[in-house]
Amino acid sequence: MDNKLDALFNPCNIAVIGASNNPLKAGYTVIHNLHQIGYPGGVFPVTRSQETILGRKCHVKLSDIKVDIDLVVLGTAAPLIYEIMEDLEIRMKKYNDVKVIACIAADYGETKTAEGIRRQECLIHTAKKYGIRVVGPNCIGVIDNINRVDTTFVETLIPKEMGGCKGGISFISQSGAMAASILMMGASQPASISMNKFVSIGNMADVDCIDLLEYFEADNDTKVIGMYLEGYPDGRRLIETLARIAKKKPVVILKVGRSSVGAQAANSHTGSLAGSDAVYDAAFRQYGIIRAYTIEELMDTLQAFDAMSLPRGNKCFLLTQAGGPGIYCTDAYMDQGNLQFPRVSDETKEELTNLLPPMANVGSPEGYADITAAAGARQHVESLRTILADDNVDCVIFVTVVPTFLPQKELGEKLVELLKEYPEKPVYICIMAGNYVLESRRILETNGIRTFATPSHCVKAAGNMTAYGNFLANRKEEV
Amino acid sequence: MSRFLNELEARDCLSEYQIPMAKSFLIRDKSEIAGLTAQMDFPVVMKILSADIRHKTEAGCVFVGVGAEETEAVYNQILANAKAYDSQAVIDGVLVQELAAKGMEVIAGMKKDPQFGPVIMVGTGGIYVEVFKDVAIRLVPLNKEEARKMLEETKLCEIIRGARGIEYDEAELISILLKLSNLAQNWPDIEEIDINPLFLYEKGRGAKGVDALIKISG
Repeated sequence: MDNKLDALFNPCNIAVIGASNNPLKAGYTVIHNLHQIGYPGGVFPVTRSQETILGRKCHVKLSDIKVDIDLVVLGTAAPLIYEIMEDLEIRMKKYNDVKVIACIAADYGETKTAEGIRRQECLIHTAKKYGIRVVGPNCIGVIDNINRVDTTFVETLIPKEMGGCKGGISFISQSGAMAASILMMGASQPASISMNKFVSIGNMADVDCIDLLEYFEADNDTKVIGMYLEGYPDGRRLIETLARIAKKKPVVILKVGRSSVGAQAANSHTGSLAGSDAVYDAAFRQYGIIRAYTIEELMDTLQAFDAMSLPRGNKCFLLTQAGGPGIYCTDAYMDQGNLQFPRVSDETKEELTNLLPPMANVGSPEGYADITAAAGARQHVESLRTILADDNVDCVIFVTVVPTFLPQKELGEKLVELLKEYPEKPVYICIMAGNYVLESRRILETNGIRTFATPSHCVKAAGNMTAYGNFLANRKEEV
Repeated sequence: MSRFLNELEARDCLSEYQIPMAKSFLIRDKSEIAGLTAQMDFPVVMKILSADIRHKTEAGCVFVGVGAEETEAVYNQILANAKAYDSQAVIDGVLVQELAAKGMEVIAGMKKDPQFGPVIMVGTGGIYVEVFKDVAIRLVPLNKEEARKMLEETKLCEIIRGARGIEYDEAELISILLKLSNLAQNWPDIEEIDINPLFLYEKGRGAKGVDALIKISG
């Protein structure tokens, strides 16, 4: 693993070439985002046309900056690359300090034009000469939420107070747009997702998926790795890397290009040889790599891995507060294929029957209970407690549609208390009434308990967690 | 450039790895027919061996259920039909093959993916492989557990495990898949192996490959 990448995620000082005072320009947003996330080091805008940007003194050239710069964010229009590289050489001969360049500009090799390729070659050639690593070009940049670095030029929607928050998800995206959307969608949940490290890798002219996977593999703060993948030129090496990591921590991949037309689109996008999707799929199954088929499944699964411990088995109880959502959930549950309804003890059933309203359904079918809309907050929580206490249960999907007469705050707070008592059993909670139930969801999520938008979202997350748990357990048996 | 091994070479290559194949002999000359009668159980299958004739059935070059006394006549007929079908075709001889008892039709094979290297394949065999698309794949090297899981991804697995009362020899199939994995690892020049059909017999009775295709590079 390359230690130089430390400077990408935890730089002492950052220079931003192509900085701007115009809020509509990328060169402004980078400075703004660094400010917003509370980056503790020095930020040095490089531009001819301004004195200061957001209170930071500008320099005309990179080589003019007097302090050590280890990360350079390169946002200038691509045609200027030649003179910037000349100036970089001057700086390196004088200070020899730059370790990483994040090139967030486009119009390089991805255009497949002679000029685009020449620009990229100039960038990479100069960087290699001084042992500098390059992320991009044609990417949105990097976020490290723990070290408070954000070199992106997009509105991430991540609230300021999230900067420095520990989150266990690290993410690699081959598409800047997917990366940006995933960030923003994550930030728009009832409580914003706090990613750990987040990289959009663009053209992979130098730093590629494998460099970052290896970095995240060794990173103790990374609990789960997420990836948006179109293809990689050396599929075998990618799979070997993923297989090695999957033995230690979960990797969830949204791999696109499943159809032959999709694969064609992927080929012309990143220009990466897409490789046969069927083989990727087989390799993922073989080596315990989790494949997500939708953006929602990707995000739900990443959050589940981050927030919960792995279930020890596949026995998943389905606890619902209403018939319809429960049946809907059961269909998704059966489609998922790797979950099994547990047979709980007679004592558990008796306890549930005593606890719940008379019209509640306990154990029909086995491993299922409908507590009905008549159940109050206490009955929600106590029935869940009874089920969690049963040894036959490995995890629970809990679905409720909060009626107007159910106090949301009380429900949220009591669930938080309960779930802290059972950290070893995952509970996939769906409080499904749109924005009406934001309050309970927010209480849970700010306490580190993820909630899911619909019952089928719960099922996907539960299925993926269970599959990975089984994978690890089987491996132990083999060893 | 890549080329196909002829049927006999393919069979020998697979037999080398203890993959059970139907017994075959090559007759290059009429004089060899007499010696054959002692070595085979009749009836047999007779077919042309020629890389130039791909569609042997259409060319009238496959005869199934040939009795011992008919061999010479069929031999002549096959050569005549081959000549009529394609007078330029290079003929290696006539293949005499054991008429294998029918079993569950399975396809087993290997294909080299340009990115991932050798991939092992198993599924429902027969002439409708492309229609049913009931195949599962795994990267090499394959272990026993993965071979089992791979088989479980196919509908074939249900049949093998007794969907209609008959259980087939799953252990033998898995052992064949492992042998294919081994073969693929040892011979990087092999680009593709297709054993179809592979007749899988009832539990404990093994399997027998009837048709095999091997493509090699160079």
